[in-house]
This record gives sequence, structure tokens and C-alpha cells, in this order.
Amino acid sequence: MAEMAIDVQSVTKRFGDLTALDSVTLRVPRGEVYGLLGPNGSGKTTLIRALVGLVEPDAGSVTVLGRRLPNLGVLGRVGYMTQQAALYPDLSVEENVRFFAAINGGESRVREALDFVDLWPRRASVVSTLSGGMRTRCSLACALVHGPDLLLLDEPTVGVDPQLRIQLWDRFQRMADEGTSILVSSHVMDEAERCRRLGLIRFGHLLAEGSVAELKEMAHVDRLEDAFIKLSEEKAS
Amino acid sequence: MSRRRVLAISVRLLQQFRRDHRTLALLFGAPLLILSLLGYLLRGGASVPTMGIVNQDSGQLGQVVTTQLQQSKSVSTKLISAGDAEAGIKDGSLAGYVLFPPDFTNRAAQTHAVTPEVHLEGSQPQVSQSVLQALSQSFAGLASQASGAGAVRFEPRVTFQYGGPNLDTLDYFGAAFIGLVVFFLVFVITAVAFLRERGQGTLERLMASPLRRAEIVVGYMLGFTVLAIVQAIEVLAFSLLVLHVHNVGNIGLIFLLEVLMAIAAVNLGIFLSMFARTEFQAVQFIPLVILPQVLLAGIIFPISTEPGALQILSHVLPLTYAVNGMRDIMIKGADLGWSALQLDFAVILGFGILVIVAAAATLRRRIA
Repeated sequence: MAEMAIDVQSVTKRFGDLTALDSVTLRVPRGEVYGLLGPNGSGKTTLIRALVGLVEPDAGSVTVLGRRLPNLGVLGRVGYMTQQAALYPDLSVEENVRFFAAINGGESRVREALDFVDLWPRRASVVSTLSGGMRTRCSLACALVHGPDLLLLDEPTVGVDPQLRIQLWDRFQRMADEGTSILVSSHVMDEAERCRRLGLIRFGHLLAEGSVAELKEMAHVDRLEDAFIKLSEEKAS
Repeated sequence: MSRRRVLAISVRLLQQFRRDHRTLALLFGAPLLILSLLGYLLRGGASVPTMGIVNQDSGQLGQVVTTQLQQSKSVSTKLISAGDAEAGIKDGSLAGYVLFPPDFTNRAAQTHAVTPEVHLEGSQPQVSQSVLQALSQSFAGLASQASGAGAVRFEPRVTFQYGGPNLDTLDYFGAAFIGLVVFFLVFVITAVAFLRERGQGTLERLMASPLRRAEIVVGYMLGFTVLAIVQAIEVLAFSLLVLHVHNVGNIGLIFLLEVLMAIAAVNLGIFLSMFARTEFQAVQFIPLVILPQVLLAGIIFPISTEPGALQILSHVLPLTYAVNGMRDIMIKGADLGWSALQLDFAVILGFGILVIVAAAATLRRRIA
């Protein structure tokens, strides 16, 4: 069995009366692009936060790159891109990337990361003056500057124009080809089709898992969107 | 101007506050707290400074004045020897003392002038004023009793242990404010900066990195301390070179105390920002953290004149020690050999360490 990049076992997390994650079990082998697909409020962000120790499960276990969380050391091998482009608005693009490189130990790869997101020519621009798309790219550069073995991307293409979205996905694919495991959350069906495997999540439940073809077959439908609706109805009934 | 649109804005504002219970509590609670504090401070059976009476007079007059002084409401008195009185001034337990020399009665009879020696501690003008006032009232009372005996002039010979008549109000307040300004501004900036980190989402990123909580807190402390030191230099230079605030102490010591206060303020800012969700809430700490300290740290009202219960509170506030230390250095010329100054430095250093440890312990890695 290939070593798992992510191994989530029966994780439950409640916030008051709300069960954000309900006994979720999910495994992502190394080098895979795994898509976490679900509507807003389905538990995607909570699950990703559990993978970096920001959310402590009420039950179950989270193992990342072979290390059971909480484990501070393993976080240096994980790249995390938050839903909003969390950057320092008063710093330049390069200063932001350099800062996250320093705290994660990747100072030598700043140029590489900025080239990867095509921001090297704009490296001196102050982040507050950038467009939304450029901020997203800068945020991605901050997440991958230390060459993580696992990249967690929380809705990375929200508010991004179609052209940039295609570019970003090409990059994610390139990284996966080079051996990086990627977990990406989305509620956009067409980009989910680019993932090797998908997990459909709703109301904190992992409804189904599989490749796009497998999911369509499971639901006996032609479109992923229909598969999602059908599978969540089946689960509810 | 559309009334509907204007009202929409006003109503929306009130609706927002309806859900922010904390702001509401502060809006209506803080004024009562501060006014109560002020009321208690000024009317709560305020204490009066203590002055010594050294009566060496071989005649009657010394005793008569002593009796008058003992009835004074603006000071409490203590009959002591000249040696003890001098020591009392040095250690700050006496606001001053009056000495009636052996020939006090005789000289008054010969010269028609009453000339007691008044020695004042001098570092706090209000306190010195109370002593002088008590004395002149005693003599005024005496003069009215002895009416017809011819005009007797009251000519005290006043000496100051520290400071003196050449010092103006700014000289007394300047020392305290140098400390306060640095403490206050650094505290606010740190608290707001730390909350911005939370608001813009970068704190979440930091928490998802291998950074330890203590590394974040100490990193913040060092960064802001650099800024605070520059500010401390500026404040000090402006106070001494432009405002010419009286200083007989070592500038290096003043600076050291300022830096310690700045570090304590940085750490307090980080620590308290843990209890606020937004920058807006952080700003609300100002009336709660800063104002009571300004009232109770002895900046405006001498601690020795506060009601007893407030004196206890004053003695646990870090700013009290900072203000004390600044005055000791600048007005009294204290150095680190003084045990009072050692205490001031130790308390501020200890407070800084306490809040930084508390901040690191309070910083949550978990979002929930």
C-alpha cells in the first residue's frame, strides 16, 4: 500500500449544535490531486483546518505525511493556502513570499515560487495595490515557497477569472507530476473534473469518493453535477 | 437630503451595536467605572500627607504651634527628632517637617516674626503645598487668638530636599508623562497590529506553520521594541532639549526605564489582544486599561493622598512604579543604588515578563 499523504480516520467536529464534520474518513495517497467537492458550509474548510491542526477533532485521528497531529514539525512540509488571500497588504509581493519562506524554511526558493506564479516581474508591487487574481497567485506562492510535500488549497480559484483558473490548474498538475500531494476544495464542478479522485462532502458527511467516472457510474448519470445531487439525495433518504 | 436614507444609516448603526454586547457594556459601564473611581478618589475620605514636627523650642510658642498643627485637616502630624525627620524625607515617608529651633519663642518676641524652618521633600507640588498651607493656617489661627499683641509676621524659611521653587508644573508632570506617553502609545499600536494579523487571515497561516506560539510572541515583542525604543529616544530628547523638563538624574537610567516600560506595554498589548476579536474591541481596552492607571498611578493625584483602599490598588498597578521611578531619577537624581528605584525597575521588568508568558500561554493555535 502506498504511503498516505493524508489519513483521516472517523473525524467528528462539533461547533455547539452544529456538526461540521461527522465521522469523516478520507485517505489521499502521495502524489495524488484530490478534490474535496461540496457546497458552501459543507465542512470543507473545517476538514482542511483539521489537517493543519487549526481545528482539534472531537473524535477520530488525523495523520499527515505519516505524522499523527498535533505535530508541529510536519507542518513545515505542508503548504496551506487559505480561502481568502491571507497576505500582509503593506508588504510587497516578494516581501510576503520571503516572510513565509523564512518561517517555513524555504528562503532559497523565493525566485522559483514567484516564477511559478508569474509574479517575478511584479515582485516589488505592494500587495494592497494588486488585483484579486494577483493576490491569489501571491498567496499560492506563499503556500508553496518551501516546497511542501502536501499542498492544501481551500477554494483557490474563487474570484479568479477563467483564464487564470486554467493556468492555476495546470500548475497544480505540474506540482503533482513532480510528486506533491494536493488536496483542493471547490464547489465548481468543471475544475473538479481535473482531480484524480474526488470526495463529495455535504453537511459534514463524506457522501462518496472516487474518480469522476466512478462517481458518474455510481449515480448512473452523465454529468458530475447530477451525480453530486443524486448521491446526496440517496444519502439523505 | 433624504430623511429615509439618513435614517437608514442611523438605524443600521444602532442595529449593529445591538449585537455587540461587549461594546454596549463598555459604552455604558466604563463611564460609571471611571466616574466612580474619580469620585472615590476625591471624596472617599482622602488621606492627607504626613509631616513631621521637630520641637526644640525652649519657650512656649513651639508647643502652641504644634497643638494648632495637630488639629490641621490638611496634614497628619508626627512629633519626631530632627534625625528621624531627615530620614523620613529621604525615604519618602514624610512630605516634610517643620523645625522650631531652641530660640524660637525668644526670637519671635524680639523680631515680631515667626521663623520656623520648613524642610520639604519637594518632589510632589500638591503635597508640599498641603504642608505649607497647614503651617500658615496654624499661624493664622494663632495670630487671631493673640490679637492685640501687635502684628506678628509669619516668615518660614523653606528648603526643599528635591526640586524646589524653581520647578514648574511641567517639571513635575513631565517626568511622569515621559513614561506614560511611551506606555500608552506602544500598548495601543501593538494590540491593534496583533489583531490585524488575525483579521487579515495571516495569523491562521502562521498557526498552520511550524512556528511556536512563543516564537510569534517574542518576535512581535522584539519588532515593536525596536519601534518603541526609537519613540522613547524621541520623547526623551524632546522633553529634555525642547521642553527643558527638569532633570538631575542619569539620562541612561531614564532611557532604560522607558525601554522596560515599552517592552511591558508591547507584551500587555499582545496579551490583551487575545481577548479581543476585532481592532474595534482592542481600542475599547484603552478606557479600561489606561484611564484607571492614569488616575491611580500618582501622575495627577499623589498616592499618599488617596483613600486607603485605592492606595492598595495603586500599589499593584505597574504604571505607579514607572511614574515613581521616573520622578525618583529626574527630580531626586536617584541611581540604581537606591532601593526604591531597584523596586521600580524590578516591578516593571517582572510585569513585562509576566504578561509575555501569559500572552504566549493564551495564544490559541486552534481556531475553534
